[in-house]
Amino acid sequence: MRKWGVALALAATVPVSACVQTRQYADLQFTPPQGDYKLLVLRPDVSVGSLTTGGIVEPRADWTEQARSNIIAALQTQQSGRGGKIQILERRSQLQGASEQEVADFERLFYAVGESIVIHKYLGEYLPTKRRQGLDWTLGEDAVSLGRKTGYDYALFLHAEDSVASGGRIALGVLGLAGCFVGFCAPNIGGATQLDYAGLVDLKTGEVVWFNVVRAGSEIPGIAFGDLRTPQGAAQMVERLLGRMKPGNAVRQAAEKKS
Amino acid sequence: MCARCFELSRRSLLVGSGATAAALSTGIADARILPKDMVPLVGPGYRPTEKDEQGIWQLMDRAEEEIAGSNLLMTDPKLTAYLKDLIGKVGGPAAGDFRIYLAHIPDFNAMMFPTGFAVVFSGLLLRMRNEAQLAGVIAHESGHFLRRHMIRSWRDQRRKTDIFAIAAMAAGVGGAAGGVYLGDYVQLAQLGTILSLFQYSREMEAEADAMGARLIADAGYEPVEMSNIWQQLIGEETASARYRRKRRRRGSLFDTHPSEGARMADLKADALEVKDPGRKYEVGRERYLATIGGIRPLLLDDQVKLNDPGASQYLIETLAQDGWNGLLRYYEGEVWRLRNRHGDDARAALSYASAVSYPDAPADAWRWHGISLMKAGRNAEAKSAFARYLTLKPDATDAAWVRQMIG
Repeated sequence: MRKWGVALALAATVPVSACVQTRQYADLQFTPPQGDYKLLVLRPDVSVGSLTTGGIVEPRADWTEQARSNIIAALQTQQSGRGGKIQILERRSQLQGASEQEVADFERLFYAVGESIVIHKYLGEYLPTKRRQGLDWTLGEDAVSLGRKTGYDYALFLHAEDSVASGGRIALGVLGLAGCFVGFCAPNIGGATQLDYAGLVDLKTGEVVWFNVVRAGSEIPGIAFGDLRTPQGAAQMVERLLGRMKPGNAVRQAAEKKS
Repeated sequence: MCARCFELSRRSLLVGSGATAAALSTGIADARILPKDMVPLVGPGYRPTEKDEQGIWQLMDRAEEEIAGSNLLMTDPKLTAYLKDLIGKVGGPAAGDFRIYLAHIPDFNAMMFPTGFAVVFSGLLLRMRNEAQLAGVIAHESGHFLRRHMIRSWRDQRRKTDIFAIAAMAAGVGGAAGGVYLGDYVQLAQLGTILSLFQYSREMEAEADAMGARLIADAGYEPVEMSNIWQQLIGEETASARYRRKRRRRGSLFDTHPSEGARMADLKADALEVKDPGRKYEVGRERYLATIGGIRPLLLDDQVKLNDPGASQYLIETLAQDGWNGLLRYYEGEVWRLRNRHGDDARAALSYASAVSYPDAPADAWRWHGISLMKAGRNAEAKSAFARYLTLKPDATDAAWVRQMIG
């Protein structure tokens, strides 16, 4: 499954220190949607797990559900502040004007294209022909026809995965810290990590106009940064991921010239 | 940051004591698991109650949604109903809960997911010679679910990685306090733990085999057919390797499944144990062929295009043990033609000539028979073969070209 591939590839590059990193790309001509626009949010792909003592992530159904509803609520609040009309799909069958299969195909296409964006924009396999081109990917005609059928201007995809250090993992970190006193210092065994990414598709042109990745990780178990299981944590995540949507380079340069 | 933390994090995963024991117990020769010990661990309508299993089920529900809507699935209602019916017969207490999907992938495989849905690859339907064999594979997969293998192996993995992490840390801290370096032991322990993870997996495969033999015998299928599947697979792999001038891969400590040879032998012994004297066991060949007959040309076509002439030839010959026919002869010809080594065109020509002598020869057999004849200078015969091709397939994409050949 493609989207797990994206997640794994990104998770592997979580930096060594405890920090939060975001990096966004936009189409050269991109202007963040404002005013009267209609936004469709595809079913947010959320998973929250517990980081076991041994360092593997155990998925947790109840935490995932909790995080998903927190994220949806935070999205609603955030987007209504921008003036757009928003619908968040919880199931593929909820979209009026498109069949469940069309929605599924659209999602899969996005995750395939998203994987390519991640490889060529985030993981170092830069394409010489795409230098200084901003974000130059498209979902093509299918996205345009979906927009025509359903009447939406933009589609937003969102992936969030979070792991919470278990009691055992924290205890192990404490033991590693205690070891510092005898000369075996290993507090940084790796604690909670969070990986979120989102992509915005313009349904008038089919182009992926904006893409952002947030990576957060702490090497030391027990240090948390925005727990998706809490409404505050989810709101913080949505703000980090979508709050500071920057316009594309061409648009920015034009604005600078004017002023 | 100190240099030694890095040492630990690189080695960090798994446990000290018992490493040697684990390494020793991972020999290929595991004891056979007896079918009579294989009692289903779940009843009808099973739902998980523990947090870890619920988490996995939630993930798997998403996975099933993806798979169920995948465009790789074959949705022929006759075939899907057939598979559903089979898993209903050999699914034990969970028979009514299983879902089964057929994926268009020309490979020998089937898998069971933790929530009770199975995916069967179309390549499996090509390789199975009768219903009992197919039921055997499905029963093996049901066995994984009935014996709760996924959650058991997940817990096993979690326990072992936990113990290793603690012991590795303890070895580091304890060793530093005592002034000794235990890094080498930590590495040995890591290998031991990894090896024992694979062993747990092989033991579960053996359990699923034993459980499967029991399930199909209960459903009235000849259990020894499960053993025959492995015999066929060994033959196929050997033939495939021989064509590539390589040897068949041998088992290693890192195998997740027991070797095919061991499975074949164990299943043979299982078959004797699970049968009731006096009861009749069927193989269901006619019913099987009647059901999958319609897609056999597609399955054979997928196979010959894999560019694995050794395996393809072996498979065709195995299927032909139940009698040659026009379809099998035609694809035998295709294997040679596509391999295209010196003399293969003559071999292919013989196969096409043989294919058209059967009433079920596909239209394309006549086409290639015609081309072979034309190459050999036998133009009159070639023309009548082409004419036959056009009668069988009047709207063929190359009809105009063939008509021109006839002149």
